[in-house]
Amino acid sequence: MLVNLIGTAIIVVLMDSDPWMEVQLPWLTPDIYSFILLVFGNAFWVMHFSFTNMRLLNIEENRKLLGFGFPLNRLAKYLTLIGFCHPVNIIYNFTWLVFLLIQVDYAFQIPVAIAAVALNYVIIYSIKHRFIRVVEKRFIAVVIGFFVLVFGLFQMISLFASNSSQIFAEFVPQVETVNAFLSWLPGGLLIQSVTVYYGWLNATIIFFFSVVLITLTVIDHFNKTKEGLLNPGLKKAEEESSLLWRVLRKIMGRNAGKYYFYVMKHPYNRLQVLTLTIIPIVYVPLLLNVDFEIAQTILIPTILAGIPVALLAMGMANMYGYENREFLLHIQFPINLEKQLKERFLGVIVLPLLVFYLITVFELLVIPEIGSPLQIFVANTFFFLMFMLLFVWSSYFQYQKATFSSFSYKHPIIPQKVTFAISFLIFSMGYLVFVPLNGLEWYRLTIMGTVIVIMGIYLWRHMDVLVTLFKNRVLIRLWNEL
Amino acid sequence: MERAVEINKLVKSYEDEPVLKDLNLDIPKGTIFGLIGPNGAGKSTLIGVLTGLLSFEDGDIMIHGMELKDSNELEIKRLTASVLQPPLLFEQFSSIEFIEYICDIYEVKKDGLIEKAYSLMDYFDIKDFAKIKVNKLSSGSRKKLAFVTAVLLEPKLLLLDEPFESVDVISIERMKNVIRRLKNKGVTIIITSHILEVVENLCDDIAILHEGKIKAYLDSISRKELQKDSSLHEIFEKYVEVEKKDQIVDWL
Repeated sequence: MLVNLIGTAIIVVLMDSDPWMEVQLPWLTPDIYSFILLVFGNAFWVMHFSFTNMRLLNIEENRKLLGFGFPLNRLAKYLTLIGFCHPVNIIYNFTWLVFLLIQVDYAFQIPVAIAAVALNYVIIYSIKHRFIRVVEKRFIAVVIGFFVLVFGLFQMISLFASNSSQIFAEFVPQVETVNAFLSWLPGGLLIQSVTVYYGWLNATIIFFFSVVLITLTVIDHFNKTKEGLLNPGLKKAEEESSLLWRVLRKIMGRNAGKYYFYVMKHPYNRLQVLTLTIIPIVYVPLLLNVDFEIAQTILIPTILAGIPVALLAMGMANMYGYENREFLLHIQFPINLEKQLKERFLGVIVLPLLVFYLITVFELLVIPEIGSPLQIFVANTFFFLMFMLLFVWSSYFQYQKATFSSFSYKHPIIPQKVTFAISFLIFSMGYLVFVPLNGLEWYRLTIMGTVIVIMGIYLWRHMDVLVTLFKNRVLIRLWNEL
Repeated sequence: MERAVEINKLVKSYEDEPVLKDLNLDIPKGTIFGLIGPNGAGKSTLIGVLTGLLSFEDGDIMIHGMELKDSNELEIKRLTASVLQPPLLFEQFSSIEFIEYICDIYEVKKDGLIEKAYSLMDYFDIKDFAKIKVNKLSSGSRKKLAFVTAVLLEPKLLLLDEPFESVDVISIERMKNVIRRLKNKGVTIIITSHILEVVENLCDDIAILHEGKIKAYLDSISRKELQKDSSLHEIFEKYVEVEKKDQIVDWL
């Protein structure tokens, strides 16, 4: 989604002077354009706090090196360097650089932009280091704030695009004032480094001043790392109420309920659910307003069919990774393993299936032009089942222990191979399943229908395959996992 | 004497590496049985097989007169409780939620269960952690929580893999006290441990496992005889054929 957002921003930046844009988006005046850039820049800046991951320093683990006589200064130096050079941080700052450098008008803005990005990075890193607890506690609030701000803006634009002239006539006079305010916020200041003319002399002064500040901040960070290495934080155990567990246990039973509880406790999944809610709210109305047939016949149904698939991926793509070794306790229970696995399997598909039906009904009622009820139903079912098979394969053949470090460079729950397969398959499958075939539609429906029936019968009659696969592929890995 | 566990020619391998080789072992009912052996001897694997977590290639296992196979599996599991090393706990639950969940699964009578759970937790000084999430507990508290839960399940066979590791000395004494009380109620307890002194004081019978085989079985009578002249430590060294390696570190 982030890539999507950045792509949109870059297109807006690059195409602002294109005559096509002026015809298609007459409301995109220079002021509105600046407003969008400033909101994006500032929201992106806020988001930076979540992505500059401090946990990657792994101070608790690295502290042990001191016990083996590793010099403190050298360790702090290495950790500072490693922290700054982590791929996620590099990608984030590289995005800033690209975003700024494509807006450069004068050569002197280049060194200033580079220094500004570096200074911004070290300052954020330092702030996080000092206020890590506050930032981590407010993590969800920061992320939601970002989504609401940015997507709210896009949504607003999409809704108002049809009667833009009237709405923007009232809004435009105030935009200038808002822009003046936004341009002095951190994201706005970064944008100013490439949009304002300040000449070579000022550029040199700003550049050297920034370099001095960067050096001082890095030294401060180095000292804080040293201090952190010598002073372990106190882990305070607090009482926690598990209302979520009680609710899930009541609704889904003690086995499937417990599993769902684990899925929902994972911070990455909470974020995922939030994203899955926001994406259709933003993109579906936007695509419905676009006068472009493919958007309605392929893109909308693919995005919508992807939602239950993503929910299914959360629960099914790594069914034992959340609990890993503690799942052995389930095997010790005096309850048949096949029964436990069946309950879990069926429990996992309940929620995505519910969403799947809601989406199918929504499509039938709101966008009937994408196909007949039978077409929509068969296509969605086929889409769902194909991905379900992929996830069953992934759970048993690609097992990995779920990690709890959100925003590491790899997916904390789903194995790399599977995330790649999902992103590749989701649109290629969407094209195969939803592209209009006119006279040949019945052939496709017959093929998909046959595959659905075969897969349904096979799964129903061979549920014991879950137990066999579990015993052959997962059990020994759980036993050996310490 | 009635037997709680009878193992006959048990073979278990990891891939092609045999861990338990034609192992034979009988454990009398209502005793505290100690299983000792060096690292890698196969103690945890044997416990894993007895709990039904690990399959085995060959041999027979009878638990309380029932053969350990698919048709009896659930009945045997209902009679058995275990504390593994490291203990298996549900990390996202609080301690008391974990106890309630497991007791519910094992269909332990609910009358007075919570009171019993709190009194045992109090006995092991973990009552204050009742509502704390399991993943926040120290390793000693985790071990004690697993032990408390296993006791509450009222098993006929209790399997304890390194139960005293990471546990403080006071709690070790209390654990030993609870184990003795369980024995008096007719429960069979199998303990693996590296702390020979504890095994020596606590267990009725002791077996030495080495390279996947039982090298010696010391019941209370043979122990008395053997321990006249040597300590359990010396007996252990003799049976596991400890190589003298002092010359390797002569340079020290």
